[in-house]
Amino acid sequence: MIGDRLSSLLARMNVRTASLLVPRTDRTGWTAEWTAEIHHLCHAGAEELPGEVNVDPVQFSVGAYQDAFWIRCDRLRSDGLPDLRSGSALRCTLVLATAALAAFLLGLVLPGARTVLLRLPYRNSANLVLISSHGYAGTQSPSITFADYEEWTTDTANLFTQIAFYRPTVKGVHVAQHEGERLSVAQASDNLLHLLGLPGAGAIASPATGQSRLLITQAAWRKLYRGDPGIVGRTADIDGQPALIAGIVPDGDWRLPTRIDALLLESPDQLAALAPGTRGFVVARIRNSAFPPPHGGWRKMVETRYGVTSDFDCISIAHLAGQPSLVFLFALLMASLALPATTALPLGEYPHRRDHLPAIVNARRWAFLLAKFALMMITIWLFSADLAYGFYPSNPVSALYVQLAAAFPALLFGFRWILQDQRRRCPECLRRLSNPARVGQASCNFLSWNGTELFCARGHGLLHIPELPTSWFSTQRWLCLDSSWGCLFPEGYSPSPGMV
Amino acid sequence: MPADARLSHTAAMILQAIHAGHIYGFSVMQMTGLPSGTVYPAMRRLERDSLIVSRWEQQSIADAEQRPPRKYYRLTRAGKATLEAAYERYPLIEKMIPSPEVERA
Repeated sequence: MIGDRLSSLLARMNVRTASLLVPRTDRTGWTAEWTAEIHHLCHAGAEELPGEVNVDPVQFSVGAYQDAFWIRCDRLRSDGLPDLRSGSALRCTLVLATAALAAFLLGLVLPGARTVLLRLPYRNSANLVLISSHGYAGTQSPSITFADYEEWTTDTANLFTQIAFYRPTVKGVHVAQHEGERLSVAQASDNLLHLLGLPGAGAIASPATGQSRLLITQAAWRKLYRGDPGIVGRTADIDGQPALIAGIVPDGDWRLPTRIDALLLESPDQLAALAPGTRGFVVARIRNSAFPPPHGGWRKMVETRYGVTSDFDCISIAHLAGQPSLVFLFALLMASLALPATTALPLGEYPHRRDHLPAIVNARRWAFLLAKFALMMITIWLFSADLAYGFYPSNPVSALYVQLAAAFPALLFGFRWILQDQRRRCPECLRRLSNPARVGQASCNFLSWNGTELFCARGHGLLHIPELPTSWFSTQRWLCLDSSWGCLFPEGYSPSPGMV
Repeated sequence: MPADARLSHTAAMILQAIHAGHIYGFSVMQMTGLPSGTVYPAMRRLERDSLIVSRWEQQSIADAEQRPPRKYYRLTRAGKATLEAAYERYPLIEKMIPSPEVERA
């Protein structure tokens, strides 16, 4: 008995859930039919049920989902596609979403921009720092002498778990069967890749002897060596010095300062040939027990040698990689502050009476506004990053300025357009209002109303926009019309979802 | 839908079941052996194509029996013509679900 009641209850719940799929206009009749059938199935005597199969109400009610689904599909087919006509909210959202997608795809195509869009590939990047002698300026050009680096390899064991050095150079690289090329090569200590914790660092070939290893970036490999897969394992001649080509560095894996075509990994003995005053970059992985990771961007490191005190900055690599986001946030802040100077912020007066604009209609209007803001910000962030880093990949400082210069006006005018567009939409169906008409005569009578009126083509209402804001009519005002006005409008009155 | 339009076997079975007097969705399902997820959507399409029409049972009858009113279906003239055309294609249908005239004969 209890089992029967439970089955009946579950079956009714299934029907109720499935009814959500059914178009609203058909829902009541549809639910009533299925409920009656289940009632009949549960309460009819065995003699009333034809056939020999004992039908379980729950199993029977599962068919309601299929029925509801087909009704929905039929409705979509008969109604055609959702409203994508000019001025509809869906079309506006789709255009913005398409622009965001296009900007993202463009970013993936442009190598410089791709590195900005993708997250750092390094293991535990919060602990990685770049040591600079001139603050952030020192991250753009080599600022640490090789002598300092050599001393730190032994002196800073309590601060850093690992420390590596590299310096950008230009070298002539010749590989058999290929023409010699002048490449931007980063001459680095052989622990650099291990320190960074790149996913494929362990799989890089090691030479049998103390030979240097050369890693070619994927872009250079494609461009200069036409993607020759047999190049790995050969010996390259680098300004007369042999080096084993140990692998290809995937695009986006090199996120340290300066653009390179290849990375020459050398043992400490080979690096020792460098002059003490040779300047390069020093990368280190900080020891957590020594000081917490520099989340704020940087920390000062003071060193005293021969009575002379020098200070260096440990700048987080994750923070450096996040600079495009910070620049965008700064542009966003500036645009938000400047926005009230370019357009009014209020969206107008709308009736708050429940029978005119129910909560769901209001919620839809606000959700549409928020979606526009979100999509606009994403689009501008992506396009500004594409523009700055896709076309100025070798100069990060210029790229930051370009990004700021592109993002600020785009955000400002984008937000301005969003507010103006929102004010010109019907609050019920969210379509653009049409047929503007001038009402009244300016200066004819100072106190009489004059302004512009627009109406919703579906007959939801009229929008009055005053020409001169007054104390009694300071902002645009929406007048709701009921269905009896529908015959006057070109598309007829059609209640939007949520309207009674 | 024109009378010579080709019905699927499922649709023809459902039409025949309704013609045979199984006028509720559940009884059609029992008679044809088809699952509920097939029978009800098929009946919606047949109704959309004007081969069958539905009607709600009178509320007073349902109230007297203390149950919700049921929706029942019957064939339209076009539905009967289409079914007769379908007999040529599916001759066994009439034997599987005999119509009242056949039973009387």
